[in-house]
Amino acid sequence: MLVRFLARRVAFALVLVLVVSSAALLLARLAPGDVTSQLGPFASAGEVAGTRARFDLDRTPSGQWLLWLGRASRFDFGDSFLYNRPVRGLVARAAANTAVLAAAALAVATALGIPLGMLSGSRRSAAAALIRGLSLVCLSLPPLLTSLVLVFIAATTRWLPAGGMTSVDALDMRWSAWLADVALHLPLPTLALALPIAATFERLQAQSIGDALQQPFVLAASARGVAPRDLIVRHAWPVSLRPICAVYGLAIGALLSGSFVVEFVTAWPGLGRLMYEALRARDIYLVAGCAAMGGLFLAVGSLIGDLLLAAADPRLRERRAG
Amino acid sequence: MAAGLVAALLLALYLRSDETPSPAAAPRRGGQIVASIRGEPRSFNRLVARDQPTELLTILTQGRLVRINRATFELEPWLAEKWDSSADGRVHTLHLRPGVTWSDGAAFTSADVLFSLQAVFDPKAQSVLADSLLAGGQPIRATAPDAQTVVIRFAAPSGPGLRLLDNLPILPRHKLQDALAAGRFASAWSSGTPPAELAGTGPFVVREYQPGQRVVLDRNPRYWRRAADGGPLPYLDRLVLEIVPEQNAELLRLQSGEIDLTTGELRPEDYVPIRQAEERGRLRLIELGVGPDADAFWFCLKPEVKGKDPRFAFVRRPEFRQAISHAVDRETFAETVFLGAAVPVWGPVTPGNRGWFWPDVPRYPHDDARARALLAGIGLEDRDGNGVVEDARGTEARFTVLTQRGIGGYERGIAVLREELGRIGIVLDIAPLEFGAMIQRMLACDYDAMYYRPVASDLDPAGNMDFWLSAGSAHFWNLEQRAPATDWERRIDTLMLEQAASLDPERRRQQFTAVQRIFAENVPVLYFVAPRMYYAHSVRLRGVVPSVQRPPVLWNADSLSVAP
Repeated sequence: MLVRFLARRVAFALVLVLVVSSAALLLARLAPGDVTSQLGPFASAGEVAGTRARFDLDRTPSGQWLLWLGRASRFDFGDSFLYNRPVRGLVARAAANTAVLAAAALAVATALGIPLGMLSGSRRSAAAALIRGLSLVCLSLPPLLTSLVLVFIAATTRWLPAGGMTSVDALDMRWSAWLADVALHLPLPTLALALPIAATFERLQAQSIGDALQQPFVLAASARGVAPRDLIVRHAWPVSLRPICAVYGLAIGALLSGSFVVEFVTAWPGLGRLMYEALRARDIYLVAGCAAMGGLFLAVGSLIGDLLLAAADPRLRERRAG
Repeated sequence: MAAGLVAALLLALYLRSDETPSPAAAPRRGGQIVASIRGEPRSFNRLVARDQPTELLTILTQGRLVRINRATFELEPWLAEKWDSSADGRVHTLHLRPGVTWSDGAAFTSADVLFSLQAVFDPKAQSVLADSLLAGGQPIRATAPDAQTVVIRFAAPSGPGLRLLDNLPILPRHKLQDALAAGRFASAWSSGTPPAELAGTGPFVVREYQPGQRVVLDRNPRYWRRAADGGPLPYLDRLVLEIVPEQNAELLRLQSGEIDLTTGELRPEDYVPIRQAEERGRLRLIELGVGPDADAFWFCLKPEVKGKDPRFAFVRRPEFRQAISHAVDRETFAETVFLGAAVPVWGPVTPGNRGWFWPDVPRYPHDDARARALLAGIGLEDRDGNGVVEDARGTEARFTVLTQRGIGGYERGIAVLREELGRIGIVLDIAPLEFGAMIQRMLACDYDAMYYRPVASDLDPAGNMDFWLSAGSAHFWNLEQRAPATDWERRIDTLMLEQAASLDPERRRQQFTAVQRIFAENVPVLYFVAPRMYYAHSVRLRGVVPSVQRPPVLWNADSLSVAP
């Protein structure tokens, strides 16, 4: 049964990647302007024509799409105008960088949001009110401002690098030192990404655990004299996880697709920043490549969310198995 | 704008905790500096890419036969140590500097010069430099009597003469001749090329390019140039170009000392916090002077496209554009848009272009009454009392102005312009667009008016023929005309062609003064102020010779050093 379920999800992922990347390519093609405007107003007619031919802009949109599709099926996603090199390597490298960042951000968001949500949702106290207030602040702050404030703090205190993924000296470092250097650069973009997600998790968890604590079986356990701590952790929490799992997949997908604002401000060379630069330059094959990878990540995130949901809710597991 | 203010606030807060470093000692050999760039280099081959990071990398890694000193604007010997020119200015015999080698150890010879010129003018190479290396509309021809001599021939006398060669990086024949022969030159030396396959005669060599992060350049141990004390150049062991796309973050990193210098000038809103940083001894602030380029405002004047638009009947009249010029208070404009860091201008040549600026260019002092009178003179009056002037047929003077989205200076400038012109009954609706879409609309003349800062490719007017000539691709208001659309454009064409071919500097100056007069009288493009340019770098940097041309400091990278 699990095999059939996974097969369905893989097929869904392939369709999602195809649809998202094709839509991105066609929208980038049909929107006003094209990549040749990056050549500036001084470009000669020959240069413009050569660039249009190189990026297949001299074909009809459908012709270009079919050509791209044929090449993409052989994992050739075309060349990037901006970087003047194949899209495949660029997207793979950026996706790996974003995956590192996303994993760190998800870990931080989970570690912060879930326990704080359990705390604030299970009791009424000044601490709970403070947590709620902080969550609302984190949710309402625009990512641009959060990122800039964090860069400012890093620049002021010099505790952490104010941007980038590695330091200049990383070039001559061993692997272990290089990894430590990356780890030193992670906290800034990680916090910028994780704080609003942690706040979302906290709010959902607080609401959900509050509801779970009112369930009859929890009240019955309470009447049987189960300790409050066990009541929350062993009885109410597993039930309360369902809404968290539902958004978890989306959060994973969104994080893996990259946040262009955070990556742009903190100079993290990830997928979001690459996509943003590609869109600005109308770098059509890079746009399509980034969109394909974003679609793949979204499908993976959705799959992980579903698996978590199934793990958290036996009824769902049984329904899918049936 | 909001992000800029936040950044300024953050910078101001940052300065409260700033510490003053100890006074810097004398420059030394060795060390590294980190400069920020905002985009990725598209290629390591300047002949096929025109983006700024590629141009900067070329300056750092490649040599040219002669160099225009960005501070003095004088022509200097570079890979050619001396030259002789014929009396008619058509033939120049250049003697190459002996003993120069490429960074990979191969000898630099006249064959490399011939190869570079061949590549520029090879149609298959699609070089972006080909147009800038024409003399009299024809490619430069070259021969090599021996390995150390190159004879350059111009098809016609050329006013700029050998200055044209400042545009030409000399590339290694032994590395690229196969690509040129195979028709692969346009894709050769792309940014994905392993650095070991590159070679140059510049002060640095590419060690590694990490997309999205940085380009690391190491000292070229075979660099030919020597310091005044006879020691080797460059002083620095390493130069890192850190890619920082966001300008506010870039400034914070400059403040924190993570980067030593930027490769672009400061924005007006950055001046105050950077000045405070200078007072605390952390940064050095330089006033580069008035910039050579000014924000421009123009209408599409292409009769083939706009001829049927009823507004074209008055837009094409010089009086209409003169009225606009009179309506704008340039002092207020400078205060509001550039926070005071700008000077009024009345033409495309600003005081920043010291060699060619004409201070007596016709001016249009701020005078709303005069502006209204000029409009009335061409039949534009507010006939229905709605505050907008219209012609006798009721066509209102209302225009949509395109500008580039996300550039604070443009958005402020066009907002001020709308306010100023509103007082004389001309209505502007603002449409900010992404750069690509804006350029496409401009090329198709699919706009009413545009507000933007076109950057001149050269300070010498003969280097900007595409702007001045009616057939030019940068003749913004009416691009690439088959024949001059107006009599005054025909006169400018004649004067500019004569000027570009003249070898007499004084004659060239007189002719260009006449061009500036005609331009100012007909105002096809309106200029209001030219910004003062400021630049900041870390105090540990030595040997800085600033220039108003980009890159303001790294043009002289071989002479930069860091304090101990």
